[in-house]
Amino acid sequence: MDNSNSDVAAARRRALAEALRQGNPVVVTPTGEVGTKDEMQENGMSGIQVPDGKLAGED
Amino acid sequence: MAFYWYQSDPDLYQAEVAAMQKFFPSFRINQLQDGTGRLYWRGKVQPTGEGGMVWDLMLIYKNDHPHAGKDEYGGSIQILPVSPRLKDVAQQMMPLVLQTYGTYDNALKHGFGLGLPHIYRGNFGRNEEYFICTADPRYFKTGQTRSTSAASSLSWACKWIVLCEMWLNGEISDDVAMEGNY
Repeated sequence: MDNSNSDVAAARRRALAEALRQGNPVVVTPTGEVGTKDEMQENGMSGIQVPDGKLAGED
Repeated sequence: MAFYWYQSDPDLYQAEVAAMQKFFPSFRINQLQDGTGRLYWRGKVQPTGEGGMVWDLMLIYKNDHPHAGKDEYGGSIQILPVSPRLKDVAQQMMPLVLQTYGTYDNALKHGFGLGLPHIYRGNFGRNEEYFICTADPRYFKTGQTRSTSAASSLSWACKWIVLCEMWLNGEISDDVAMEGNY
């Protein structure tokens, strides 16, 4: 991957991390790829919108 | 008398299959060969997209599906990563976690007692395995007309994988991994 591509990928991951942090809607495609709802729509991709649900874990 | 949920509620079974075929058509359903009668889906996902890690997952229904007890993280659908094996990843991370938090008790206090954020352990066959905590049980729907499906659980799992990979890569902090609005 050249620098411009890796910059784009890094920026995309930062945007996704921020969307997840803020609880903005994210979509999962049939291959399992996760993206923001806006990004997926812009790229003509569809999938299941991740339902609300805060993660928990064993204490 | 029907013992398993998929026998006693064939409509729910059909809805589960339809949802998976619609959203994750590469996944296949099967029955565990351990005498429990539990059904599971198995397939691969690549949550961070092209070039990212491929995860081989099992989505295993408990026989009381749909159900979510207060300590059942992810309700009655357990997500077990087959590859990479979550227990192996967590154990590899544990020395770094202990280095960060000083003691096991302190790591536990910050939610990293198992080495990764948002996971839990349980028995699977003869082994103890680590599972993805897909959602707090309060979010797992168990109603007669609306219940959380394997497709929804898998979407939660894909979100978790993205967060986990970002955390492993140092792209998000421990605090964000634990306390973000996830």
